[in-house]
Amino acid sequence: MSTNERSIWEKIADQLRSKSLWMLHYCTGCGAIELPPSMTSRFDMERFGMGPMATPRQADILFITGYLSAKTLRRVIYTYEQMPEPKYVIGFGSCTLNGGIYYDSYATINRLDYYIPVDLYIAGCMPRPEALLEAFNELMRMIRKGEANGWKRYKENYEWYKQNQLRSLGEVFIHDEFHE
Amino acid sequence: MTVLRVIAVLLTGFFVGLTLEGIARKIMARVQRRYGPPWYQNFIDVFKALSKRGISHGWIFDFGILMALGGVIATLAFVPLGDLVAFPGLDNIFIIVYLFAVGALGMAMGMVGSGNPNASIGVARALTQMLGYEVPYLVAIAGVLYYYKTSSVSGLMMAQQDTWTLFKMPIGGIVAFISLLGMLGKKPFDTPIAPAEIASGPMVELSAKYMGLLMLMHTFSIFVEISLFVDIFLGISNYLTFLLKFTVVWIIATLISAVLPRFRIEQVVKFYWKVPLSLAFVQVLFVLLGWVF
Amino acid sequence: MTNSMNNTIERLKSIIRNLKVEEIDEREVKIEIKPEMVLNALSLLKGSGYSHLSIITAVDWIEENKFELVYILFSWNDGGKFIVSTKIDRKKAKFVTVKHLWPIARYYERELHEFFGISFEGNDDMRPLFLENWDDLPPLRKDFDPMEYSKKKFPDREYHKDVIHEAKVIRGDLNG
Repeated sequence: MSTNERSIWEKIADQLRSKSLWMLHYCTGCGAIELPPSMTSRFDMERFGMGPMATPRQADILFITGYLSAKTLRRVIYTYEQMPEPKYVIGFGSCTLNGGIYYDSYATINRLDYYIPVDLYIAGCMPRPEALLEAFNELMRMIRKGEANGWKRYKENYEWYKQNQLRSLGEVFIHDEFHE
Repeated sequence: MTVLRVIAVLLTGFFVGLTLEGIARKIMARVQRRYGPPWYQNFIDVFKALSKRGISHGWIFDFGILMALGGVIATLAFVPLGDLVAFPGLDNIFIIVYLFAVGALGMAMGMVGSGNPNASIGVARALTQMLGYEVPYLVAIAGVLYYYKTSSVSGLMMAQQDTWTLFKMPIGGIVAFISLLGMLGKKPFDTPIAPAEIASGPMVELSAKYMGLLMLMHTFSIFVEISLFVDIFLGISNYLTFLLKFTVVWIIATLISAVLPRFRIEQVVKFYWKVPLSLAFVQVLFVLLGWVF
Repeated sequence: MTNSMNNTIERLKSIIRNLKVEEIDEREVKIEIKPEMVLNALSLLKGSGYSHLSIITAVDWIEENKFELVYILFSWNDGGKFIVSTKIDRKKAKFVTVKHLWPIARYYERELHEFFGISFEGNDDMRPLFLENWDDLPPLRKDFDPMEYSKKKFPDREYHKDVIHEAKVIRGDLNG
């Protein structure tokens, strides 16, 4: 497949990208509480060159903690499409994996990779900061080897993803009485 | 020869600036009992940002960023780094101050051109803060200019043969250093880019290579600001001692910013116009009365 | 019950016959009244210091074919709490608004319309508040099946192995 072929330039760029990952965390779920320990003194994410970013325009990783309701999924899709390429998605916790304890809820989605491509999942409810750091290291290894191709898959299978989004959400466009 | 000197100044700005920013992150981390990123982290960040595919927001946006970077690079070329002066005889403080505004205005124009309200708020805050720190800074500098009867930066440096200006006019030195913290946009004066309030303010819509260019612009402008302070207040120096003094000033500024929270914007202006401005006037009065050590 | 709560109940009894009072806690009283008396009771309570409307919510009693509307009122004078409950017909889920007593009630009423399908006379603003593009029964009704809806809308991951069985074996619930 063509998605795994990289030029020399891309290989060098991937080395740099793996060492400077800026993260946008979408923390509507309970998993957000695992991030402060991994950022602060105990586990210190910044030693890998990772840091939180305030806007999707500057982010490399979209980090989704915990469950997503249908309403927040719309915003996540918006956010994901705003990020510049290459971009990576990490799904954190079992809620993004298979619905977790909200598997029968009318409002929350059951699997995230049905709507946007997920490069890496962290299983567990909740995963501890050690698991988080292990996942970041794994993501860096995947980026260096050129295996983190979620953004290419999203472009290639755009029709499929759009169709899934429409099936679950009805309409991706956001109507919001407080912002109109 | 001039071309070579300009290239030397710009390369110094690039390598020393980015290295010191990385070291500042490391110091910040150590103050917070963390390990911290490696010292070359900011090089990786800039090159990574340049390698990504960004989104433009129209030609005003593109042009504003180029104007910001170009303006700051042009300013840097005029700043004497110790005995390395790219344009001897032209390193006038007024030229530098005027050219520096080109970069700031370019950034304001580009960021407002992105159309994001957060960016507009950030730019408004940045310009307000500029109004805050420029006034005491220029009053203090005016005292220095009056005392030495010259406005050339290397002339000011050469005039400090016997004592540093910092020791001759300690109040003015303190005022200039406080204003320097505001220019650098470090805490407690990082109101314009407050990430938690306005999503990093002016940079909110910058993606990828635009972000990389703006990081370079930020590095160069930090270099210009600290260089001016070092040249005017910290005595006569050659290239190496200049870099040493530069590093010390930068580390002190970093240590101060590592332990302070953020001001609100009206607190910034009130603070600058109360404490440093009155101190600056006191210093000018001392200079006029001839009470200089 | 505090003195002021006793006094308030006496005053309520004077305007409402056969008032059912249930003391839940020292400062918490539930009263059950007929739907047509609710507005009177609420305005009397508001006049007696119970002026803070904490929430309006509903319970679906599907066997009785009734919705129970619950108004929770709080007093900042003595911390007393009145729970005013009334039962309305489930088929014709309609009630009157209390928007004129508490302006904030219009949001609670919108929410009730969204989640239970109860409409309120006098409150025309019944746009959806939380859900977007909802296309089924109101979701908090008992005859709505969330599992079925979730299966229809949000597809599950397909596992090739029976992981739940394996997890039970690992945990020791079953003997592998």
